[in-house]
Amino acid sequence: MFLSRTQVIVALAAVGLALFVLDLVRRRRLSEEYSLLWVVASVTIAILGFTTPLLKAITRTLGILYEGSTVFFFGLAFATAMLLYLSVKLSRLGQENHALTRELGLLRNEIDELRRAAPGAAPPGGGKAGA
Amino acid sequence: MIPGRVLVIVPAMNEEESLPVTLDELRRKAPGVAVLVVDDGSRDATTDVARARGVPVVRHAVNLGVGAALQTGFRWALAHGFDVAVQLDADGQHDPAFLDALVEPVLAGRCDVSIGSRFVSRSAYRAPAARRFGMVLFSAVVRLTAGVRITDTTSGFRAYDRAVMEVGQHDFPKDFPDAPLLIDLARRGFRLCEVAVEMRPREAGRSFYTLGKSLYYPYKNLLASLMVLVKRAG
Repeated sequence: MFLSRTQVIVALAAVGLALFVLDLVRRRRLSEEYSLLWVVASVTIAILGFTTPLLKAITRTLGILYEGSTVFFFGLAFATAMLLYLSVKLSRLGQENHALTRELGLLRNEIDELRRAAPGAAPPGGGKAGA
Repeated sequence: MIPGRVLVIVPAMNEEESLPVTLDELRRKAPGVAVLVVDDGSRDATTDVARARGVPVVRHAVNLGVGAALQTGFRWALAHGFDVAVQLDADGQHDPAFLDALVEPVLAGRCDVSIGSRFVSRSAYRAPAARRFGMVLFSAVVRLTAGVRITDTTSGFRAYDRAVMEVGQHDFPKDFPDAPLLIDLARRGFRLCEVAVEMRPREAGRSFYTLGKSLYYPYKNLLASLMVLVKRAG
């Protein structure tokens, strides 16, 4: 089998990315949910890098002049999709964070009220004496 | 004003200097009216200053913004059985002497949200040209998108009824408390009205509106106003 220099580089990049993603999951730094997307990405890179006829066919179908542009196009599309997905996740995280902060404040206030209503109750810090 | 039905919510962020003046004035000009301070992640003695005056405080551990502070206030107001919540700034801009006038149309059921406006009648307030242009612009945006005539969209002196609080405690455009909020409320079918009030310059502390923010403000709020239109009513 004959591999061009580009294909070797692509192969190394794809394998490197896949290994890095797997390692992140193994060390519990990346949740499975996100790892799926990255595994798909590295497999896509590998497929496009190795199957030159497929890459050529896609390039022709899309009316692109140069195969390299097709690779960049898919890379950019993936990066954009990933960023949008992360923005959605971030919005949700922000909303959850706000709700929790508000709820925490309200609970603290309720504890204050209850403590004032029942002066004998334990002060904060597990009932230590003192002002 | 009927005590026990109205809660004044004072959102406060690092207002240890202004807050005592505001709270004392509230007690003097609106005696018997319940007050809640929402300390929005202050790093100074805002919470202590309010507690020292016997005012209940709900404290956010981190700063979430005025809209979120208001949401917290709504939840507290509902849990404590209030019918109307008034938003009053801690910095002394809003005169409690106008509380009765502001609350009256909401208590009477003529509208769901009443907005204390500087422009409904002749007022001592004279804004700089750029600010005035912004106000005319956002007034037009609200009229075109929501079909309501609001002259003072940036006024933070407002009264909300139970219906608004019940929806707002969960779903509130909290990052955009001005024009986008008004459009959002109007599109949900809430009735907005304006009441003439006078406003004063700030007592102490820094104004929220710096130069950078005053340039960013129209962009942010114009875009957010349009986004409100896209949002599915939920």
